[in-house]
Amino acid sequence: MKTIGLITANYNSDNFGSLTDNRPISSLPFGGRYRLLDFVLSNMVNSGITKVGVITPYNTASVIDHIGSGKPWSLDRKKDGLFLMPGSVYGIHSAGSRFLFRDIIEHKSFLDKSDADYVIIASSSDVYNMDYNDLIKKHDQNGSEVTILYKKVALDAGHNGYYLDINDKTGAVKGIYDYAPAGPANYFMDCMIVNRSFLLDCIKWFAQLEYKDFIEIITDNIDKFSVGSYEFKGYLGKINNINDYLKVSRDIKDYGIRNELFHTDRTIITKVQDDAPVLYKGTGTSKNSIIGAGCKIEGNVDGSTIFRSCKIGKNSVIKNSVVMMYCEIGEGAVLENVICDKNCEISAGAKVIGSPENPVVLSKGSIV
Amino acid sequence: MKKKKCIAMLLAGGQGSRLKALTESIAKPAVSFGGKYRIIDFSLSNCVNSGIDTVGILIQYKPLVLNKYVGTGESWDLDVADGGVHILPPYAGESGGEWYEGTADSIYHNIDFIDMYEPENVLILSGDHIYKADYNEMLEEHIKNDSDLTVSVLEVPIEEASRFGIMSTDEQGRITKFAEKPKEPESNLASMGIYIFKWDVLKTALLEDHEDESSAHDFGKNVIPKLLKEGKRLYSYSFKGYWKDVGTIDSYYEAQMDLMDPEVDFDVFTKDVRVFSNNNMYPSQFIGDTAKISDSMISNGCAVYGTVEHSILGTGCIVEYGSVVKDSILLPDSHVGKYCYIEKAIINEGHTVDDGTNIGGPDQEVQLVGETHLTI
Repeated sequence: MKTIGLITANYNSDNFGSLTDNRPISSLPFGGRYRLLDFVLSNMVNSGITKVGVITPYNTASVIDHIGSGKPWSLDRKKDGLFLMPGSVYGIHSAGSRFLFRDIIEHKSFLDKSDADYVIIASSSDVYNMDYNDLIKKHDQNGSEVTILYKKVALDAGHNGYYLDINDKTGAVKGIYDYAPAGPANYFMDCMIVNRSFLLDCIKWFAQLEYKDFIEIITDNIDKFSVGSYEFKGYLGKINNINDYLKVSRDIKDYGIRNELFHTDRTIITKVQDDAPVLYKGTGTSKNSIIGAGCKIEGNVDGSTIFRSCKIGKNSVIKNSVVMMYCEIGEGAVLENVICDKNCEISAGAKVIGSPENPVVLSKGSIV
Repeated sequence: MKKKKCIAMLLAGGQGSRLKALTESIAKPAVSFGGKYRIIDFSLSNCVNSGIDTVGILIQYKPLVLNKYVGTGESWDLDVADGGVHILPPYAGESGGEWYEGTADSIYHNIDFIDMYEPENVLILSGDHIYKADYNEMLEEHIKNDSDLTVSVLEVPIEEASRFGIMSTDEQGRITKFAEKPKEPESNLASMGIYIFKWDVLKTALLEDHEDESSAHDFGKNVIPKLLKEGKRLYSYSFKGYWKDVGTIDSYYEAQMDLMDPEVDFDVFTKDVRVFSNNNMYPSQFIGDTAKISDSMISNGCAVYGTVEHSILGTGCIVEYGSVVKDSILLPDSHVGKYCYIEKAIINEGHTVDDGTNIGGPDQEVQLVGETHLTI
């Protein structure tokens, strides 16, 4: 069954401090070389979807610069391909769901000009690798108008967002709540598959409710619509705030998780930058760390993520930190529990120390 | 179509048999180099960094991998509308087909290709050299001298000169004599196998050379001596910088170790003049908590749990716990099991070294281990 994709990359949140001052959550750098958006976009492409619309934010530079014409994802095509679609609200914030209905209405022509049966709608702040064909197949089989992707999480997972009340026998969704129920919960993964014709009908029926989130429209009409569910059983790195971000950055050092996310037939694709391999000079070394290409390492990196093209000076110590691209860490400097946004300069001998609970966040281009 | 000032023809046809198992299944220009590169990346990047947007790659030995690797040329920004990169294998015409018999012969068979672009000049390159060059400087000198042929030369130690094609020049740099591998060299200016010809001069020479049955159809042996004899304007261009022909296992090993040597004037790390390549998409490297690394180059997709000293790890390599890799090169996707000791070795692409294996030692020659198992 033919499916197209619609990704919302226009959301921001106050939970990331200065990291999201100039970029949406979708373009947060992740894992040494990626942006969060890469995961959902690659999942779509790897599932055989060749037409993808991306709703862009007002601070659009990082998104446009990163995905460009969609070439790395083979979305620069004559037929179908990538559609960049500006979002309708300036600086939209949400810690929960991320499908402002007006954005879908504004870009109705994207849905009109298609012969696809289904549309996968997904936000782009989660880290997971999934074959959406499983979701498509389930949706096709149960004949619902909407099938919602969810993950069973422990009660104490503490995720913001929506939870599903599911009929155990049929898998039908009985209710959607913006708080976790007691016990293990069915966490909405900000992704669903919808019949294209049904979505076009919704645009007709609910045009007045353009200020609502699409998930709210589904919630309000849960008795009228046929809403199914699909459980994702793989690894989900949910990134709702800085601590989530650090946790998921640590998670990918786990052999099993790393293999599932990166070493499958479904490669997570990103913009190629042609950096040289990492150069370790002299006693420069790293352990328990992820290091992006093009770095020069002369100091000691431990339990950290270093992004592309950083220079880590002699005798410096980087511990439990995240250092984004193009940072320069001077000789003998010490960073502990710090997140350095890109282009930071830490002068020789400087010390920046945070705690695991309260990491220090240095904004883009900081000089310490 | 706009006429081109200069297009490049890259000779990538040879087998490179002195590289042994490295070229058993692939052409030499496709052989891995420096962790994430392949040998051809350097010439292709030089072209695009010099503003040359039309490149013909002449190939006949095991072309499939090189063909796939080069693709549309996108990785080198060579996917341009009027020009771009073209793989040129031998092909059949109305009187049948022939293999390329020599360097000049391979260009002769592609006269029609070059004529499509009507270039004023043609740059001839080898696909197996490691260097960074701005061909514009050479082209400017070529034009300034109103030269028919400009040969890029490198000063070599006089005792090594008999391994090269040696130029004697006058004070203006005009070539007065050319000797291919002379026993008693008169000069130390060695030809690098990089030529810029005026296309009309080259075309005439190739047509005449083709008719000459005694010719080996080689630039160094036949075409250049012929032009010199005819009194054509031949000039040398002095290349300054790092240049290495990686024809043997030893030179292939040394050139890669040079990448990590701060004394060697060759920088693949600079952002100013980048070396582009077409890589598999790998995640950033993971260095485990049992790893020890010093003086090494490590590429994307690697996972290191052992000790790596003064070595190069290509994309997607794994070094497991308890193993030591020293003064060695792991080619892409090779896997070193637990408790191995590897010194002065090149582990072939995709090769797995079983747990507990010992390879090499400090006083041994560099050895190549394993068959090529490609994943590109």
